[in-house]
Amino acid sequence: MNKTISLVAALMMVSGSVAAQTFDEAFNAQRGMNGKGHSFTFEGKSYTTDHPEEVAAAAPANAANAKQLLADAKAQYAKALEVDFGWTLTKGLLSSANKALDAGEFRKSMELSARAQYHSRMGVAQYHQSQQEWLMAVPN
Amino acid sequence: MKIIKSLLAGASLALVASITQAATSGNTLASVDPEADRLALQSFFQKRFPQVPVDDYVNGIYALDAGSREQWEEIEEFPPYEFDVEEGEVLFNTPFANGKSYADCFANEGVGIRQNFPRWDESQGKVVTLESAINQCREANGEKKLGWKKGKIAQISAYMAYTSRDNVFDVQIPNDGAKAAYLDGKQSFYTRRGQLNMSCANCHVAGSNVLIRADLPGPALGHVTHFPVFRSKWGNLGTLHRRYAGCQSNVRGVSQKAQGEKLSNLEFFQTYMSNGLVVNGPGARK
Repeated sequence: MNKTISLVAALMMVSGSVAAQTFDEAFNAQRGMNGKGHSFTFEGKSYTTDHPEEVAAAAPANAANAKQLLADAKAQYAKALEVDFGWTLTKGLLSSANKALDAGEFRKSMELSARAQYHSRMGVAQYHQSQQEWLMAVPN
Repeated sequence: MKIIKSLLAGASLALVASITQAATSGNTLASVDPEADRLALQSFFQKRFPQVPVDDYVNGIYALDAGSREQWEEIEEFPPYEFDVEEGEVLFNTPFANGKSYADCFANEGVGIRQNFPRWDESQGKVVTLESAINQCREANGEKKLGWKKGKIAQISAYMAYTSRDNVFDVQIPNDGAKAAYLDGKQSFYTRRGQLNMSCANCHVAGSNVLIRADLPGPALGHVTHFPVFRSKWGNLGTLHRRYAGCQSNVRGVSQKAQGEKLSNLEFFQTYMSNGLVVNGPGARK
């Protein structure tokens, strides 16, 4: 009887650890509830709800930073297209970021580049996730 | 005690069963079973819409929604694709500069053969759709390729479909190359894409006959039988790959290339799913 109870307890612990929140789940939940610029704690460490692209876009607005961010965004878009998971708005965002850069509107350019880079990073992530999950949608 | 043991045994069996199922569910060349997939999809729709005969799925959403069907039947009294079929016949029968014609490129002189497309072409090592066969015919006879999505190619395809009405789709998967193409198409169909993170299946399996704003997505079963279609939204005739591109764009994903490998494989999978149903193209849709 004791052995059985121990086994059940062990199974429950395994099940509990499997169900524990991952960092991405915690981040997405905090981001969804609080938006960007919010701090939260995960497993004893402090984090913010900012995307990496938003952190990069918060750098000083100047030509060098704007050019770098645009180049990074274009490189990330190329990666999304390489796996065939580009999103439709990204090209327009890059084009607008380029125009803003040419017009000397560095802050605007950096924000647009950050959005484009985020879209492309999510496209690549979607590709990897879909490789794992597509089969679950098949009727059987 | 016995109850706990039974529960544990049951849980273990369920775990093993789910793993076994996952391992044999058809995501590898070794395990994919097109016929099992086709029957499973058919069964899904039969359970979901038990009042709808399988044969009626060739009519898309009009098999499921009575109100839409009433409107569509009125449209079909004077079919909007009628002139395109006539123009397609003229184009089909117009000789190339070298004196040959489309009839020289196809079995049975191109009449009544729509149900055999798309097909796996071993010599080319790829899926050949009807539209790609039309353009291959043109190139082989020294003519320029037609655009893939609308215009003349859709008209010729519409005429060829029209001559094949009521013939039963019979797409074959003769070898591993064809099976790999089928599997790729299957994966595409169930894979989420674009910023809206939606797959074909989201709208056309689980979401069929469920309103998306003012539209009711049609069922995946019988999805391709009525192409090419005259869409009221387009105001003209278009090919299946034109529609694919539109769907992918609607979910804010960059569209895949018309008649490229990915969309041709998707058409291969979708048409196999409709094996046993009849050709009823061209069709009229919203």
